[in-house]
Amino acid sequence: MSKATIATAQLSSCVGCHVSLLDLHERLLDLLEDAIEIDYCYVLVDQKEIPEHVDVAVIEGSIRNEEDLEVAEELREAANIVVAVGTCACYGGVHGLANLYHIDDVLEWVFKETPTTDDEGETPEEVVPEIFDYVRPLPEVIDVDYMLPGCPPKPESIAEVITAIIEDRQPKLPTTNLCEECPREKEDIPIEDIKFRTGQGRPDPDKCLLEQGYPCMGPATVAGCEAACPSRGLPCRGCNGPTKQALDQGAASLDAIASVSFETGVDVEEILKGLVDLPGKLYMFSMAASLLKGHRDVIFGSKGE
Amino acid sequence: MAEIKIHPLTRVEGHGEVIIEVENGEVADVKFAVLAVRGFEKFVQGRPAEDVPYIVSRICGICQTAHHLAACKAVDSCFDAEPPEGGHKIRWLMHIGNMIHSHALHFYFLAAPDYVVGPDADPLQRNVVKIVEDNPEVGKIAIELRRYGQDIVEATGGKAIHPVTGIPGGVSSPVDPESRDDLLSRAEEMIEMAYEGAKVGIEAIKETLEEYREKHDIDLLETLGNIETYHMGLVSDGDKHEFYDGEVRVVDPNGEEVTRFEPEEYQDVIAERTIEYSYVKHPYLKDVGYPDGIYRVGPGARLNVCSGMKTERAQELYEEYVGEFGECVNYSLTINWARLVELVAACEEAKMLLEDDVITDEDECKEDYEPKAGEGVGIVEAPRGTLIHHYVTDDEGRVKEANLIVATTHNVPAIELALKKTAKKLEDEIVELA
Ligand code: SF4
Ligand code: SF4
Ligand code: SF4
Repeated sequence: MSKATIATAQLSSCVGCHVSLLDLHERLLDLLEDAIEIDYCYVLVDQKEIPEHVDVAVIEGSIRNEEDLEVAEELREAANIVVAVGTCACYGGVHGLANLYHIDDVLEWVFKETPTTDDEGETPEEVVPEIFDYVRPLPEVIDVDYMLPGCPPKPESIAEVITAIIEDRQPKLPTTNLCEECPREKEDIPIEDIKFRTGQGRPDPDKCLLEQGYPCMGPATVAGCEAACPSRGLPCRGCNGPTKQALDQGAASLDAIASVSFETGVDVEEILKGLVDLPGKLYMFSMAASLLKGHRDVIFGSKGE
Repeated sequence: MAEIKIHPLTRVEGHGEVIIEVENGEVADVKFAVLAVRGFEKFVQGRPAEDVPYIVSRICGICQTAHHLAACKAVDSCFDAEPPEGGHKIRWLMHIGNMIHSHALHFYFLAAPDYVVGPDADPLQRNVVKIVEDNPEVGKIAIELRRYGQDIVEATGGKAIHPVTGIPGGVSSPVDPESRDDLLSRAEEMIEMAYEGAKVGIEAIKETLEEYREKHDIDLLETLGNIETYHMGLVSDGDKHEFYDGEVRVVDPNGEEVTRFEPEEYQDVIAERTIEYSYVKHPYLKDVGYPDGIYRVGPGARLNVCSGMKTERAQELYEEYVGEFGECVNYSLTINWARLVELVAACEEAKMLLEDDVITDEDECKEDYEPKAGEGVGIVEAPRGTLIHHYVTDDEGRVKEANLIVATTHNVPAIELALKKTAKKLEDEIVELA
């Protein structure tokens, strides 16, 4: 059997998903030996042109600027199958939080107002690709065949998706929410209050953090990280993105918090106060994909490009 | 005017482009443009400060830990929450783990193809896979060191990429004693591997230089990126080499100290100039001005600002390096050599920290914090150099203002200067190409 040809690309993102692929260590070498051939991956290989055809494109990152869009479209043309790898590609990722601000204000702060910026110079406009008004996840601009969220996804999950594609089967990926893989015990008791900030106090090591009053996004977040944060005494901040069923991570979180509290007549607004930063807490990694997309029109009055 | 564009830049992280402008048979200008900006300094505003170390790690998937920890230090100061000894040492060890992974990645995966496979080889062959095929022992060292580094970060930080445990006042949980024992049992072998790898790597660098001298009559050291700049980096304990915590020292191109400062004084020393063709600003020394005050950070700069290494085998390699190039080195091609010295230092430091029981002590890992209004600056040496995070918080402990100067940003003006100088040296060839 001939090897599957692969192109990988980094759009606006941190390259962590590529590093996670490298964290397969010798398994990556085995894959390269037996099953795949990397034809384009500017992070590791001196190939500057995107090939005309590849079997699979693995795309990390979201659409922040013109260049991201061009590369995404070019890869869609070239590839039979496109995989959105990582929460940035799938849901916009952490820098989707920039959508809370007008892009002019973002650039104004970065290039004019930070305390070390001197008085001379100007905001970059030559050569650099144009920045769009807001961040968009990959599926909003091109058809995506597989979504592999995670920030980053575990190395084994990346290998599983690639192998499944080669073997022409559906990849086995987690679909449940994080609570299902969390070792902490849930008693389904009503949540009266979010009384702690992340990392404060000494939580009971065995009990659900949300039920102890920590802002845990586990109920609305897809599993896949072996509950890395709750296992270390920290509430989940949602970096894997929403479960498929949830669609909107923030709405699902609110729903989870409210539903167990509803019967007891607890004031949901009181609970929300405890979150301190509502949009940041509910959508830290999926703001760009949230149903609140209406905010774009409110802020920009246009579609952003 | 003709332009030569190099894009995308390969075997580097991030989006960059080099533009060489040729006019009247001369290289008129060289621009190094960074093409991406995401605006972390803006969108962390409004976020609870304890979430910030977790958000900003996503600036870079290779040196996430350095961002996580520089932010932790800054937020500690905002909330007046100093980590106890255990918390401090767990963070430090996490940082060292990241250094090992990143240096191994940078040298063996990104840089070594130029030396081991060679600059004359087919570009498609010039990558790490070819190294592993041709030199399985070197391949093994590369993989084992990276794995060790990542395992350390996972044991201390909860996740190898984008660690989670750093919180104001320390870390959320100690190192599990079993993981500690496992890591410690591998430590000696890793020091050995890093040392062997350094010997092989240094030999490969020397051979490449030699080959160019003989075959092409080019002195690569002088030709590629030999520039005079200032150098900046952390030092501690009598100006010893430092990765994690200390004072920042700045020396001139001859190695003479020009200033030293504590993290919270950084604004007195550094200013940044915006550049019309790049999304990265150019930092410079305020007192010297722009562009004369540009400086470098990273492995080469760290060896330039220190008086020696903390550990034995690294010190031996440091002495060899200084013997070869002198106390203050302005070449660029020596940076990978310096990186190999540091990789040995990091492995030795990891062993030292792993031997300390305090990292497994539940009661030693954090001090309780209360969110409040405050201000803090955190500095660590990221694998690629000095990293500065600065935050101001409001009464609720949310970030009000943020300023970041990341390692590569400090180096951008020097990279551009090096490219300019190199292009001038190779002017005839470049003009022909254009
Ligand atoms: S999903 Fe996370 S790890 Fe992957 S590129 Fe985005 S920020 Fe980095
Ligand atoms: S809410 Fe959080 S702590 Fe509770 S079970 Fe779910 S993931 Fe675990
Ligand atoms: S527990 Fe939540 S925040 Fe932590 S790594 Fe997993 S998905 Fe991300």
